[in-house]
Amino acid sequence: MKPRAYWNPYFAGVVLGLVLLATFMVAAQGLGASAFPKRLIALWASGVDADWTARNVALGSYVADGAFPLRNWLFVEVIGVMLGGFLGALSAGRFRVTVEKGPRISVRARLGYALAGGTIMGFAAGLARGCTSGQALSGGATLATGSWLFMLMVFGGGYAVAWFVRRQWV
Amino acid sequence: MSAIFPLAFASQEVSLLTAVVLGFLFGFTLERAGFGNARKLAGQFYLHDMTVFKVMFSAILVAMVGIYGFAALGWLDMSLLWINPTFIWAQLVGGFLLGAGFIISGLCPGTAVVSAVSGRLDAVVTFVGVFLGTLLFAVTVDVFPWLERLYDAGSLGTSLLPDLFGIPAPLLALLVVLGAGLAFLGAEKVERMFAGRYAAVENSPTVRPRLKFVVPGALALLAIGATVAPSPRPRPIIPEFETISAGDVARRLIAREPGLLVLDTRPAADTANAGLPGAQRAALDSSTVPLLTNLAAGQLVVLYDGGGKLTTLPAGWPVGPRYAVLAGGLAAWREQVLAPAAPRDASLAERERVAEQNQLAAYFSGATVAAPSAAAPPPAAAGGGGAKKKKAGGC
Repeated sequence: MKPRAYWNPYFAGVVLGLVLLATFMVAAQGLGASAFPKRLIALWASGVDADWTARNVALGSYVADGAFPLRNWLFVEVIGVMLGGFLGALSAGRFRVTVEKGPRISVRARLGYALAGGTIMGFAAGLARGCTSGQALSGGATLATGSWLFMLMVFGGGYAVAWFVRRQWV
Repeated sequence: MSAIFPLAFASQEVSLLTAVVLGFLFGFTLERAGFGNARKLAGQFYLHDMTVFKVMFSAILVAMVGIYGFAALGWLDMSLLWINPTFIWAQLVGGFLLGAGFIISGLCPGTAVVSAVSGRLDAVVTFVGVFLGTLLFAVTVDVFPWLERLYDAGSLGTSLLPDLFGIPAPLLALLVVLGAGLAFLGAEKVERMFAGRYAAVENSPTVRPRLKFVVPGALALLAIGATVAPSPRPRPIIPEFETISAGDVARRLIAREPGLLVLDTRPAADTANAGLPGAQRAALDSSTVPLLTNLAAGQLVVLYDGGGKLTTLPAGWPVGPRYAVLAGGLAAWREQVLAPAAPRDASLAERERVAEQNQLAAYFSGATVAAPSAAAPPPAAAGGGGAKKKKAGGC
């Protein structure tokens, strides 16, 4: 089956912007993604060492006053993202178990890059207090200074490194 | 003027229901935009597919105009919105690293979620990496003081570009719209220039098709299971001890809870820091039993030591009272009640919490050694937080 075509990027952007606007109107905050791993890590870490987690700079606020870190708007939102993405891919005929990669790289090497890139992003999202969703997109729409700095540097970092990993993609 | 938005929900369940709905729309839109495909996303950085830029900036424009427009009309109270606080250096360095990780993995954390539930194994692996990186940051920021300094470096608090530049928000929003319009024209031109250079993004051959529903299904089940799972209790120090937070003890002391017994179980030689107000020194042996024998059943007895390392209930102590160990011990009391740290990540929930702690600190500092009965402290200011602020956090 031939997959359904992608939306026009500007149309997709407008829809995404309306979803983001609705999120601010309803939930008083933007959308996010990296809260999901952060809060699961906080839950796991508090099971291993509750005191360490409560004092940890990156995780402490998620377990403050005995709060359950997963009972949180952003965490539940990411579950919605999973469902929406899954049904979106399924309904478009795009659901395929496969590895996306350029023609010049092996599957194993591609997965190695994926793990390394993901690890760097997890670290970066911790340091920057958010990722492309929570900082660049949501913070950008509120015209927050740090979010715009972050967004510019995301593109800067991507272009700076792209040449070195070009074998993976093109 | 009281604005209609943001909506305030009486019930957290309803609020979380909106999270599922809006998250669903977020994920669906990202998928339809093509963000479930790492090759398409990577095209942004080889200039032949500028979809990332076009979608992201269209979305930012729409939401920005909506937020500032509704605020200008008085429909939206912007002061209640969670605005990402600015930490210049953390965000510059973190942004650069995230961009590097983006092109190395081909995905960002949010699109990795969408791609993973589209069946892409590279995205599943990327998301595993994000977990590892999150843990790595939490551990290293604890170990390396320079990393913690970087994390907090260049803090401006809530800083908005219109205020920073001294430009009225509507004018700045207009400039952003015009700038983005020009950038869209440029993106179209660049895309055409580079379009023929690389093969267009097509789906790669399928591997292991039988896993079709396993990967996203397992992910969703894990997430739902984790959410509905009962909240784990704080790990008890020994089973019959419960723990009590420093803030809770402080509130009980302010309220002069009748019969409340606070026992300082540090070794008698440990007098480095003054104990809790009204606390009695008590050895962890049978010599303390007379203090405990005439208590009502269920009477709260708070025990603490220097650093929350209390592990054993001494043999012979009566089982009637309700023993609770001060979590973190005297160190936690000093840290949380006497000298609360400034908010590191100034989310509103955190700010509210620290504000309340500071009220407690104002009450107890200077009166730390006086027993409540001897020198009655002044009546506390109204307890609890200030105006109810919206919760936030994370990405």
